[in-house]
Amino acid sequence: MEFGLGLVLAIIGAALAVLLAGIGSAVAVSAVGQSALGVLSEDPDKFGSLLILQALPGTQGIYGLLVGFLILLRTGLLGGSPADLTLAQGWGFFFAALPIALGGLVSALYQGKVAISGVYLVAKRAEESGKAIILTAMVETYAILALLMSVLILLSINV
Amino acid sequence: MGIARMNKVYILGHQSDKDRILSVLQQAGLLEINDLSQEDGENQEWAALVEKDRETEAVQKLDSLLSEVNFNLDFLNSYHPQKKGLLDDLFMEKKALSVAEVKEYVPKWAEISRNVNTALKRIDEELLVLRNERTRLQNQKQQLLPWEQLSVPLELLRSTKTVLVEAGTVPAGAVEEMKNELSEIDVSCHLEVANTERGEAYIVIAYHHGEAESVQNALRKAGFARQDFSRLTGTPKDNLLRLDKELARAGKKQEELLAEIEELVQYRKDLQFYSDYLATEKDRKEVVENLGRTAYTFILEGWVRQADAEKLKNKLAAVSDSIEIVIREPLPGENYPVQLENKSFFAPFEFVTKLYGAPHPEGIDPTAALTPFFIVLFGLCLTDAGYGVLLMVLSALGLAKVKGESMRNLFKILFFGGLATVVAGWLVGGWFGYQILGAPLAFDALMDPIRFLIVSLALGLIHIFWGLAVKFIHLVRAGKYFDAFADVVLWCVFIIGLLLLLLPAAATIGKYLAIIGAAGLVLTQGRAQPGIVRKIFSGIASLYDISGYLSDLLSYSRLLALGLATGVVALTINTMAELLSGSPIGYPFMVLLLIGGHLLNLAINALGSFIHTSRLQYIEFYNRFYEGGGKFFQPFGYKTRHLEVVPENGKNEQ
Repeated sequence: MEFGLGLVLAIIGAALAVLLAGIGSAVAVSAVGQSALGVLSEDPDKFGSLLILQALPGTQGIYGLLVGFLILLRTGLLGGSPADLTLAQGWGFFFAALPIALGGLVSALYQGKVAISGVYLVAKRAEESGKAIILTAMVETYAILALLMSVLILLSINV
Repeated sequence: MGIARMNKVYILGHQSDKDRILSVLQQAGLLEINDLSQEDGENQEWAALVEKDRETEAVQKLDSLLSEVNFNLDFLNSYHPQKKGLLDDLFMEKKALSVAEVKEYVPKWAEISRNVNTALKRIDEELLVLRNERTRLQNQKQQLLPWEQLSVPLELLRSTKTVLVEAGTVPAGAVEEMKNELSEIDVSCHLEVANTERGEAYIVIAYHHGEAESVQNALRKAGFARQDFSRLTGTPKDNLLRLDKELARAGKKQEELLAEIEELVQYRKDLQFYSDYLATEKDRKEVVENLGRTAYTFILEGWVRQADAEKLKNKLAAVSDSIEIVIREPLPGENYPVQLENKSFFAPFEFVTKLYGAPHPEGIDPTAALTPFFIVLFGLCLTDAGYGVLLMVLSALGLAKVKGESMRNLFKILFFGGLATVVAGWLVGGWFGYQILGAPLAFDALMDPIRFLIVSLALGLIHIFWGLAVKFIHLVRAGKYFDAFADVVLWCVFIIGLLLLLLPAAATIGKYLAIIGAAGLVLTQGRAQPGIVRKIFSGIASLYDISGYLSDLLSYSRLLALGLATGVVALTINTMAELLSGSPIGYPFMVLLLIGGHLLNLAINALGSFIHTSRLQYIEFYNRFYEGGGKFFQPFGYKTRHLEVVPENGKNEQ
């Protein structure tokens, strides 16, 4: 079986979506986890709300996986009978992956920073953890918008 | 419904009745006590007559007792942790005791606490001594171990008048050279290598004191490090045996002490109850600082729910004859604490309202208004009927087990959210990523995302109009008819006009509506400004707010993204599981992947749905009408963790 250039581009797109968004989430989740552990060493009872704060910047990685998976699904790679994509279709899939790849990467990193500040808030005033969570989720909006655009582009490419 | 009306209460009484009155107030839990010294100037007439009351001594005494009990509890917990899981805290049931029973138990608790304290203090000290002892023995053992093969009793290694004897280590590589050097200096010098271990030679050397200087020079050159055995007798082997015995004894002693601690764990509950009792007493002594006093009287000020005012009055009147209770309505503009009151269906959603903060006392309680949309939007964010069912089952289980009020509310919200998820999943999604019941009833969101997007935005539009409607109702109720017309109706006319412009058939009507709305807004939105020019300019500037409406509306597109995310991740999990299903070894992994994957997906997406649904309320919905800046009502009462104080008949009144 020979892959055309179009298909290769689609595969690169899928890989980038998972890779970049995943890197962003991994870095952010790890940084939040580190500061959360610092707080836990003083007060282990705050585990619940700190775990939520740590999980928040992890969603970008999932969005990346989601887009990567949809690309594999749409191009038929997952079913074992890949479509013969034209170059234009290939570029389409490649660019469909970019919003979540880059938007996910950057928004995860910055969401992680807000989450770390949230960890400090929870350390001082555990009863206000809801506010820390909501403010952290504000950054997520832009990952969601990126995901939306990725999905809309890739669903609108006719294969 | 909405925000409870509060009344202000003044209580004047005799100092001798103060503690009893505060006890009754604490038991009733109906009154929030204000700090008189932080008063807003309203009471200045008599402010000069009273001084700040305080019971420093009693507070200090209780404080030291409390910290002693808590220290002992921490001590017990550090050796015998109480919690077994993250969830145990949620399922913890408080022990119900009446006030009389508490009084009866207090001497017993105090005695237990004293005994435990004495015992733990002694054990703590002994443990410390033992730890030091063990370290000392271990060090000695480490020092002696390399000398084990030396069969000479250590007391023989002492110098005499003419012969100097020394023991110590030199680097193993330097031994030969040193030997040669020594034999040149003094033939009678005797060197014994007892052991060579990890690059160090353990040597004993005996030499004539006449050659001391040159021998010592040679030793120094070789890097000799002296070891002191002057306090030991017997062979190193004997000493090691003795040390092992002593270590074993110390270990046994430590185990005995640990067993003693374990014995004391049975009193943990009593200590917890005592800690609760002391904290309650301390609260009551500390609240005194909010009171004012004269030589023989005290004055107390606070807020009570209007509905509870009569009840509170009766309770207090029963305490003493020499008491004066004044209850009055709040003055206009006086900010009273906020207590949300909602019918039972809406009450759990106060959880969402409280997460944001307290609304203004004269403002709107958004709980009932946000409830239906919270449920619907949550369902659309998840959009998988299987997850909906799972969420309903899990939250029902939680409700059956958990006692804490706010957790129960959360589970109730999730239950209704799960119900909405089933409906949404049935209509446009699937069941755990599969379409078990055939195609979705309405359309498949994954195949037709644009339709889902339109549905999302339409819901957003309704939500925004609903927010305007809430504001309209509030303004009309408050009698501000012109505000209701200018700030709500004109905006609606303007927005509807703009929307109709998009439809070719209604474009003309739309054009006129938009123009009428815009003109009305230009004329009215600047009405707070002085001068006709400023009025017109801020009227025109207000039209820019339309961009806020637009971005709020577009924000609802997240429903599509979140809804698709759940379904596609579920699909991903299923596809990966199918890949595993080929071989017999793969089946157990497939089952594990399906269960773990779907639970994880549900957890992450339920969290995301909750947060983003809340956000749509706080940002997009509240924007239309919400007025914040209130403070939640915090009545003076029991703040216990392990005890629940109940009235005499054994039932809680509320």
